[in-house]
Amino acid sequence: MNDHQEKPMESRTSATAVDIRNLSFNYGSTQALKNIGLNLKRNEVTAFIGPSGCGKSTLLRCINRMNDEIAGTRITQGEILIDDINIYDRSVDVVKLRRQVGMVFQKSNPFPSSIYDNVAYGLRMRGERDSAVLDQSVQESLESAALWDEVKDRLQESALGLSGGQQQRLCIARTIAVKPTIVLMDEPCSALDPIATAKVEDLIWKLKHDYTFIIVTHNMHQAARVSDKTAFFYMGELVEFSDTSRMFSNPSVKKTEEYITGRFG
Amino acid sequence: MASEKSSNAKTSHKFQRSGFSYEQLIRFFFASNAGLTIVILTLIIAFLLKEGLGFFPGYRRDLETYRIAGLEFVDISRNNLTSHEQLTSLLNRAYYAEVNGKSARELKRTEEASALYNAFTDQVGPTRDLIINNPQARTDANAGMKAALLGNYEKQREKALLKPINTPHLTAKEREGLLESLRTRPPEATEDPPLVAALAQEFVAAQQKHAAPLQEFRTVIDDFESAGFDLGSIIMEMTESVTVTKEQLQTADILEKDRKTLLAAASGEKDPVERERLLADARAALADKPDVETPMEALLERKPECARLHEALKTASSDALKKIPSRLSDPDARRLLGAARKAWPQFIADLEAAPKKISAWKHTDPVPLSDAILSFLTGKKWVTGGEWQDFYGILPLAVGSLMIAMIALSISIPVSISAAIYVNHFAKPREQALVKPVIEFIQAIPSVVLGFVGILVFGTILREISVMDAFQWVPGFPIEERLNIFTAGCLLALMSIPTIFSLAEDALNNVPSAYAEASEALGASHVQTAFRVMIPASFSGILAAILLGFGRVIGETMVVLLVAGNRIKIPDFSEGLGAFFQPSHTLTGIIAQELGEVPLGSVHYRALFVVGIVLFAVVLGINATAHHFVNRAKK
Repeated sequence: MNDHQEKPMESRTSATAVDIRNLSFNYGSTQALKNIGLNLKRNEVTAFIGPSGCGKSTLLRCINRMNDEIAGTRITQGEILIDDINIYDRSVDVVKLRRQVGMVFQKSNPFPSSIYDNVAYGLRMRGERDSAVLDQSVQESLESAALWDEVKDRLQESALGLSGGQQQRLCIARTIAVKPTIVLMDEPCSALDPIATAKVEDLIWKLKHDYTFIIVTHNMHQAARVSDKTAFFYMGELVEFSDTSRMFSNPSVKKTEEYITGRFG
Repeated sequence: MASEKSSNAKTSHKFQRSGFSYEQLIRFFFASNAGLTIVILTLIIAFLLKEGLGFFPGYRRDLETYRIAGLEFVDISRNNLTSHEQLTSLLNRAYYAEVNGKSARELKRTEEASALYNAFTDQVGPTRDLIINNPQARTDANAGMKAALLGNYEKQREKALLKPINTPHLTAKEREGLLESLRTRPPEATEDPPLVAALAQEFVAAQQKHAAPLQEFRTVIDDFESAGFDLGSIIMEMTESVTVTKEQLQTADILEKDRKTLLAAASGEKDPVERERLLADARAALADKPDVETPMEALLERKPECARLHEALKTASSDALKKIPSRLSDPDARRLLGAARKAWPQFIADLEAAPKKISAWKHTDPVPLSDAILSFLTGKKWVTGGEWQDFYGILPLAVGSLMIAMIALSISIPVSISAAIYVNHFAKPREQALVKPVIEFIQAIPSVVLGFVGILVFGTILREISVMDAFQWVPGFPIEERLNIFTAGCLLALMSIPTIFSLAEDALNNVPSAYAEASEALGASHVQTAFRVMIPASFSGILAAILLGFGRVIGETMVVLLVAGNRIKIPDFSEGLGAFFQPSHTLTGIIAQELGEVPLGSVHYRALFVVGIVLFAVVLGINATAHHFVNRAKK
């Protein structure tokens, strides 16, 4: 079942954004991830799919160490390399890591402050005080997130007044404002209507030239629409990882086929 | 329609209600309990208002008597005399500080020698008493006993001289001489050792020597002091006459009240015989209107004399100010003299204004109710049970309560908020499990227990710290009173920490974890997340926590009663922050202390109820504001 991860990776290291090697992860005594190996390339969109509880979100959160905040979790084996650095090494400053690996959450979570402050937050935390730099960054980020035209006249109003879709795009703008190289998205569209979802997907497609996206989704169509590569997880194991077009047309493992055709999950 | 309904009720159907059910009973029980608390609260408020609001008319009558009997007139002069006495005392203290400051070396030497000698006598004293007071030992009749006692005395003497206390200001030779004289001191000797006596003389000589150049200052002080004698004696005379008038007025008031009660009872009585008897009693109780006019005329005749005496005192005081020395060498003396100089212009101004006040004063001026209310709210004096006149001014109590609350909050806010942030945001689960219960445990300490810890441990430690040289830069140190505003504030801080901590921690907990997660995913550190996201998002809740802590501090009674020192006086702010080390009384403390002793229904009793109303209103206001913030946080 694990034959795919033993396959030599076709890409060269320089094109690799995230290299996950033999990773196992535990919640207390429960093993949530079993010996995962994955090599994600730069400027590609990778989708993680699988039934609930299969470990896809856990793996995503491992990539910027968000699991550190949860008591009782630990990596039991393996490592994750970003730019050839093991991010679980003792010498790694989590704060610096997260500046390079941004994250958008399932539920949009803007801060209860103005739109402007939300986008400028990351830069300000980095010590940026120059208002011209902040202004420019806010505008660029909102433009990239296709939100600028909708909010440019009310930047000082509360972000909580935006619609759900706008809030999620604001969260994306906030994430890319700090110029990460990798953006992790944990079911970013699960709470959005089809039109808002389409906007976010367009956005991912548009931005993929500048960022590496990893997106967890329950929506097969979404995975098929936005991703270049797809990884299918089941019960904490990586079942299949290949080009999206291939996986959805001709999956090599029976389990994958059953899942994407909706026979379980 | 009605018949239709009843017929409906008779014919049962499958959805038929089954009468008064068990469920309804439970529901009724719960509802009555909820209702009961509201009823009780209403009753408490009604009771407070009923007992309290009678205070103002009663106090107004008190103030009216104060005016009609002429006590107010006497107080115009008396206030000035009091200031005069205070100034005299300041000058005297400055004088002695100067003399003793210059003789400081001699003072230290005599003190050290006496201390050494006293330590010696303390040690040998009991044995010595046995020898000289025992007739058997003295008469040589029992030689064995005498020898044994003498042997014991030798032993005690050895012990006493084993480690004599330090005497840095005595020369080695003097010290040796003193020790030698003690070593050879016979048990029956009564006179001081030669060095102790010599040093005492030396000190007196030094005092005299240093007093000589200050002779002029001494004369100025004495002259100034005697300038107030005439005013003092006329006040004494007037006091006697007005006190008599006041007593007559008060007796008449009581009789009048009795009469009204009797009349009221008579009008309600149905039995004609009984009614007649009550009416007769009432007629008998009709008081003679006391004659206030004759003594008042005598009093008013003194107006010119009073004014003249004030003029004289003013002239004498202006002269004295010119003559007091411009500079003293001892720092303590300088400080005291400075305080006197500072108070002087106000004193002169008061004296100058006095004659006008005296001539303008009229005993017939009405006392409106607003005077009583104003005098309660802004009065600087809370004097009760005195022979002269009771004043019920809430200011000293309110200031005391507020200052204690300020100390308490300025300690407990930073401590409890940062503890809450730490526990909520930084602590590992194990630390959380330890710190939270421990802080909340403080609440379980009975406040009386905390009170005596405050008196016995904290107050003592504070006083010992305050005399250390290293802390003399702190304003108000060394403290005079072990029990003061600061001590009470510190203990109340301890009591309010659990309240503020728990509520602030709850508020932080209520911040959606998504905020912290988002912030950290954007590369903010833990500290940045705490300050930029957690605190702003829970700000309303934290503010509510602080306010509720404030309410707790203001309402706390036991600790302040035990520890605040209970002196009813507005602290003296001329020492700046040192005012926080003075004793004070509080709104809560005064009720607890005095309510048990006042006669039921008296003005004093009602005054305490009004203090209670004020307290109730303040705490209610604070809690309502806190509630408002909590509601805002929920939105």
